[in-house]
Amino acid sequence: MYLASGGDDKLIMVWKRATYIGPSTVFGSSGKLANVEQWRCVSILRSHSGDVMDVAWSPHDAWLASCSVDNTVVIWNAVKFPEILATLRGHSGLVKGLTWDPVGKYIASQADDRSLKVWRTLDWQLETSITKPFDECGGTTHVLRLSWSPDGHYLVSAHAMNNSGPTAQIIEREGWKTNMDFVGHRKAVTVVKFNPKIFKKKQKNGSSAKPSCPYCCCAVGSKDRSLSVWLTCLKRPLVVIHELFDKSIMDISWTLNGLGILVCSMDGSVAFLDFSQDELGDPLSEEEKSRIHQSTYGKSLAIMTEAQLSTAVIENPEMLKYQRRQQQQQLDQKSATARETGSAASVTSVVNGESLEDIRKNLLKKQVETRTADGRRRITPLCIAQLDTGDFSTAFFNSIPLSGSLAGTMLSSHSSPQLLPLDSSTPNSFGASKPSIEPMAAAGARPAGDSVSKDSVNATSTPAASSPSVLTTPSKIEPMKAFDSRFTERSKATPAAPALASVAPTAVERLKEQNLVKELRPRDLLESSSDSDEKVPVAKPSSLSKRKLELEVETVEKKKKGRPRKDSRLMPVSLSVQSPAALTAEKDAMCLSVPTPALKLPMPGPQRAFTLQVSSDPSMYIEVENEVTAVGGVKLSRLKCNREGKEWETVLTSRILTAAGSCDVVCVACEKRMLSVFSSCGRRLLPPILLPSPISTLHCTGFYVMALTAAATLSVWDVHRQVVVVKEESLHSILAGSDMTVSQILLTQHGIPVMNLSDGKAYCFNPSLSTWNLVSDKQDSLAQCADFRSSLPPQEAMLCSGPLAIVQGRASTSGRQAARLFSVPHVVQQETTLAYLESQVAAALTLQSSHEYRHWLLLYTRYLVNEGFEYRLREICKDLLGPVHYSTGSQWESTVVGLRKRELLKELLPVIGQNLRFQRLFTECQEQLDILKDK
Amino acid sequence: MAKVQVNNVVVLDNPSPFYNPFQFEITFECIEDLSEDLEWKIIYVGSAESEEYDQVLDSVLVGPVPAGRHMFVFQADAPNPGLIPDADAVGVTVVLITCTYRGQEFIRVGYYVNNEYTETELRENPPVKPDFSKLQRNILASNPRVTRFHINWEDNTEKLEDAESSNPNLQSLLATDALPSASKGWSTSENSLNVMLESHMDCM
Repeated sequence: MYLASGGDDKLIMVWKRATYIGPSTVFGSSGKLANVEQWRCVSILRSHSGDVMDVAWSPHDAWLASCSVDNTVVIWNAVKFPEILATLRGHSGLVKGLTWDPVGKYIASQADDRSLKVWRTLDWQLETSITKPFDECGGTTHVLRLSWSPDGHYLVSAHAMNNSGPTAQIIEREGWKTNMDFVGHRKAVTVVKFNPKIFKKKQKNGSSAKPSCPYCCCAVGSKDRSLSVWLTCLKRPLVVIHELFDKSIMDISWTLNGLGILVCSMDGSVAFLDFSQDELGDPLSEEEKSRIHQSTYGKSLAIMTEAQLSTAVIENPEMLKYQRRQQQQQLDQKSATARETGSAASVTSVVNGESLEDIRKNLLKKQVETRTADGRRRITPLCIAQLDTGDFSTAFFNSIPLSGSLAGTMLSSHSSPQLLPLDSSTPNSFGASKPSIEPMAAAGARPAGDSVSKDSVNATSTPAASSPSVLTTPSKIEPMKAFDSRFTERSKATPAAPALASVAPTAVERLKEQNLVKELRPRDLLESSSDSDEKVPVAKPSSLSKRKLELEVETVEKKKKGRPRKDSRLMPVSLSVQSPAALTAEKDAMCLSVPTPALKLPMPGPQRAFTLQVSSDPSMYIEVENEVTAVGGVKLSRLKCNREGKEWETVLTSRILTAAGSCDVVCVACEKRMLSVFSSCGRRLLPPILLPSPISTLHCTGFYVMALTAAATLSVWDVHRQVVVVKEESLHSILAGSDMTVSQILLTQHGIPVMNLSDGKAYCFNPSLSTWNLVSDKQDSLAQCADFRSSLPPQEAMLCSGPLAIVQGRASTSGRQAARLFSVPHVVQQETTLAYLESQVAAALTLQSSHEYRHWLLLYTRYLVNEGFEYRLREICKDLLGPVHYSTGSQWESTVVGLRKRELLKELLPVIGQNLRFQRLFTECQEQLDILKDK
Repeated sequence: MAKVQVNNVVVLDNPSPFYNPFQFEITFECIEDLSEDLEWKIIYVGSAESEEYDQVLDSVLVGPVPAGRHMFVFQADAPNPGLIPDADAVGVTVVLITCTYRGQEFIRVGYYVNNEYTETELRENPPVKPDFSKLQRNILASNPRVTRFHINWEDNTEKLEDAESSNPNLQSLLATDALPSASKGWSTSENSLNVMLESHMDCM
């Protein structure tokens, strides 16, 4: 339940009802005016550059529209505030009213530019602009609140003119014809508001029940201070109330049941009108209303929401069961939270185990006070509640007695003149209670107790009683008036000289402490943040650390790029720099960073000795000593491997240039293009392999060995099965044509090589297709625009680890910010999100990363379900399900990247079942899965 | 919409001897993180006759202020008796708590203060030269007078100094008002100026 408000401060604020019990008063106001409901601001929407004139929620609450004197209408995504879906430009005057088509196809706005414009919600473009009825109008009304009839047939404008008379123009949906109007008001119509209900004639007992046409009811308010209520089945107004107010009518609102109407005026008052069903007719139920919509406009998926779906017939018992389970879960959750809040309420007066009373007692001592550079006192306030937990905090706050007694003796503040009309009968209004201090003025002659008497009776009525004292201190009366003005007038930069004098002696002392305090501050800050409610995760630190992480990643990348080529030649092996992501993620993957010039890759130079740690198994070390032992004039090189204390060593005849290891194999590349592979225990697995050109980078993952040669050819072998996975594949196709370098190399568990290039693109080699496939692109605009947050399951981590996550560097969250910055139309957003998710699924598939494939497929499905894309969803299900009846000709594979397709489908079904729209699909798949299970 | 709402002010140590420091426990709520500190001031009105006897007892910066509900105790030394006219030492005066953001005052809480002798003898025959050490200060805590002012809370440079000062939209509204409708008697009867002013007198 949200409420939106627009203000002359250019802001739209979205409010949520706070659910705790108990009214509260506004500090300093008269105690009688307690707020019965508490509303808390949950979002502030900024976009308009001028006063906001009207706000309107779309049917089914998907969008919020606002219009402003900046001549624009802004459409906000009500699901993801403060996202802007569209800014409608086209008015050349102040836009002063908005209304949504009840079917959600259009939105209409009326402006001072003497036009009424209808916009399509499909693409947020102008459908039509109506000007003729407004030609004679002057921009004289404060608002132009138009309204759309609940059956969608008519749009009724505010201020229009017909033969020099003010009217409310009726615009037909069919062809936007303007043949009819509401006539009768003597001044401009400011507000038109249709009753949300559609009515039908009240069936009178006994009379022949003849089904009559349903009709609508419309209230029209005008500058002539009168209100008229019309039924579309009558030619004359149902009722006209003249001179309801002293000033123009500003807004009208019907109650939900359609029988009450609230009207407000510029004179500051609000009127409530109550109708009986005899007067208006029988309101149609929501189902009947949506049936009218459906028969007239057909079923539009775009506007179908849960509310409407609730009327859909559940066709299958499984579905029903599923829905019930879901409802039960929701109920459980609700009751759980209710219990939580209940328990929270019982400990409301306790913050971090400390009661509020304790906090208050020690607040002065405990609060952090520092000095600013210019010597001013600065207090860090104690946060006693964060707004997100507002309901809880405010509840406990109500337990504090307000300083002012609520007995009504409070003086009303500056605002009282406006409030007076409401309680002018009470004697405690501003003017009357002012003299109540007067006894104090004469306090010299009175006992102390009386002088501050709280229930000082209305003193104006007792001038006689206090007259003696008044007489003795006549000068004191005048000061009271002077004081009064002091309460309300803003301070005129009072010279602080006297204050300085009084502060001076202590200031020196404080200055001494200053240094000390300064040092303490960071810690104090920490403490004070821990003082705050622990239940709320403190957002800032986490985001900070995140940013820090990103920064670290960045610097590492920079380092890599920044390292000059010469260095890499001098360096023994470039193994020392490993991508931080690789360390944390893929267990068996080991990555090296190789700053490589295109097509002639750097070669590691010979070197006396080096050690390297195997990243996939930190307890494993490989030590190399070149030319250590000379046996009969022949120099030998020694390779030593240490793993969890177990050591093995072997000797090779030529110098070792580079080495790599995994849990299963250790391989070394020697001079003369020789590559040797050993088992984890040091057994030679193959005779030396002769490489086509000198080695550049060597890599192992599991039983896979990858060799990148200086001539930019890549080979991958599976030494366990003794087969080639990638055979001397050239990097020409991905490196050609520019001075790109390979920034990171990755070999997946499945022996798929992935090259991260310096331009942010990442390619993997697909052995079955013999192609290089683009799996990631940092500059990908799709990723920038995609927004699938709504499809993310809350409990699941945003990203799952795997080779795809490594090559993409987990940057996929940045897209959302970008989407927020640019207002992307919803359709475009949908398309880009779909395209992005699809490419992620495909990339995970190509990398044979089953975990990631499952993750992205689930996400993609969820998005399809949320946005209602049936065809794609159906295709996915069809592929996962496969042929139910076995046939020999079938090409269908029952597994995908090691996952059983039908198991995947079982995982997807609950997701699909969440949307009743897909209940047929859900049922189909469920039934077929059941058939398969029975077989 | 003001970003900061004062929820409550509790007067501590009241009544108390004249020389005791003032203590106000202030609770306020902030709907959005503030980029700058709030500045609170306690002003003691020495004499109703003239503002020149006003004393700013102290001013503190309060920050950082993230969104949420906060409280702090604002303590300030008693006023300097030397700056109070003898005639005004005993009797009723006013203490004001003001809060400004970016130099714009948005709330002012006023309390009546009664200074009087506790001893009956002194009360009946007050000395010509007031004896401040014998005076008791009593703040009428139950009657805060709260005035709120509309200020510009945004970070942009645009200043909204005063309710009465220029509103950028006012111009445009007035401009459209002056247009052709002048011929029709009723059209100009209400002037947008009224609305603008009224809407700015946002109170409570």
